[in-house]
Amino acid sequence: MNAYLITIATLICINAIVACGLNVIVGFAGQISLGHAAFFGIGAYSAALLATKAGLSFWAALPLVVVITALIGLLLGLPSLRVKEDFLAITTIGINFIVEAIFLYIPFFGGALGIGGIPRIMLFGVRLKGLTFFLLCLFFLLLVLAFCWWFSRSWGGLACFALREEESAAASMGISPVRFKLLAFVIGTAMAGLGGALYAHYIRFISATDFSFPVSVLLLSIVVLGGMGTLWGPVVGAVILGALPEVFRPLVDYRFLFYMLLLLLMIRYQPAGLLGEGSMVHRVFSLLLPEGKK
Amino acid sequence: MNSTLLAVKAVSKHFGGLKALDQVTFEIRPREILGLIGPNGAGKTVCFNLISGVYKPTAGEIIFNGERTQGKAPHQIARRGVGRTFQIVKPFATLSVLENVLVARGISRYNHLGKIWSSWKSRAEIRQALEVLDRVGLADLAHRKAALLPLGNLRRLEIARALIVGKRLLLLDESFSGLRHEEILQLEQLIRNIRADGITVLLIEHNMRVAMGLSNRVVVLDHGRKIAEGSPQQIQQNERVIEAYLGRKGHSHAA
Repeated sequence: MNAYLITIATLICINAIVACGLNVIVGFAGQISLGHAAFFGIGAYSAALLATKAGLSFWAALPLVVVITALIGLLLGLPSLRVKEDFLAITTIGINFIVEAIFLYIPFFGGALGIGGIPRIMLFGVRLKGLTFFLLCLFFLLLVLAFCWWFSRSWGGLACFALREEESAAASMGISPVRFKLLAFVIGTAMAGLGGALYAHYIRFISATDFSFPVSVLLLSIVVLGGMGTLWGPVVGAVILGALPEVFRPLVDYRFLFYMLLLLLMIRYQPAGLLGEGSMVHRVFSLLLPEGKK
Repeated sequence: MNSTLLAVKAVSKHFGGLKALDQVTFEIRPREILGLIGPNGAGKTVCFNLISGVYKPTAGEIIFNGERTQGKAPHQIARRGVGRTFQIVKPFATLSVLENVLVARGISRYNHLGKIWSSWKSRAEIRQALEVLDRVGLADLAHRKAALLPLGNLRRLEIARALIVGKRLLLLDESFSGLRHEEILQLEQLIRNIRADGITVLLIEHNMRVAMGLSNRVVVLDHGRKIAEGSPQQIQQNERVIEAYLGRKGHSHAA
């Protein structure tokens, strides 16, 4: 396989991991977040700092990175999740800008120069790059998907679904809205942290703009395009939005025009996303499997 | 044991200058059906929302099962065995009927971080959820999406969920409105069965025949105040109640 394709596939994989996290927050628990790139960035920066300043290996640092990102997610989620809908969207945008500004202006985080010289990941004495790194990302993506699948069948996941549908009814069934929104937020940000760590060790040079607001928009587009609340939606979304810019490369200046067109068409014809309830794919599958259990 | 399950003591709820509920006092005894009636805007639903924790009272005390519960959040009150339905139905629309009921079955787990990771798709859970659905007559529709149900079935779905949560007290907010005659008869029977199981019911109802037929005692609210309390027979002959519903006797003639 050529290096170009592997690069794209690797980035798609990383995006899919981060988008799966966002899907837990937006799709499962129904809490809009337009600041997910902030947590992607927190993951990447913690991994980069632990590798370059503390000299930890990727494997030693990874649990720390995930915990750090999830803790910051918990901390920022506490005030954010007390507001709803549009206000939550604005608050999370705010979080994104603040986190980006902290990376950019505090010298400890490398300032405008970012952090370079991040080592490659070693596994069994092999330096992971190219195909092997892609396989590592794929492995983590499958892990994340397995977790999402499990969570969607757990009582905690069911509580999140109920909150998404009707918060006051959910509360009347013993579900604490704050607690379960936070749970979804922590799970989602932990996945963003994992994605960030992989990104840092893949690109090996990170700067604040890698995690700016447009990245959050891209991540949300991935989730919406693929189908919010579905298991495979974020993967399908990441593949399409990762591959399209390459396909449209000759039209690089007009790329955003196509994004917009695509989003408008989605909103008009497939509002639940490509894999969502009532979508074309969903209908075809229901026809093929008339005994569908759900 | 206590002879009062729920005591509402001089409870007021003001929204700015509006006294939605003003110094209302009543009690519910175990195993009775208490009807809460009154004209539109009398404060019945506000009363429900105070008992179930949606609002905090401006003044007064609410004591459930010997414990002060005013100011507690809805999920904390639910955990104490108070189940409720909503006047405007609130189904979990994209979930199936069965899943709606399963959400309620999780009530004993949601408070323990360690207990929420197991699967709700177990055979035992589903069987028990189906039993509850069977009781309210929705077992055939278990796998239907809740959003697709007509109003009558949604009200039954809400009762099914509330039944699981309300091991001690069931708050039914106009569960009969919008139902057809046969549906009303079935639901009346269901509520009698529920009481026979030892569950106390507080019932807001607009349909007088139903309210009077089901309730052991009735409390009447008007403009946020309690104007009468007593057996259905007493209430039907109460001057102030008749006045609240029909206007003052002879008043319009005299003018």
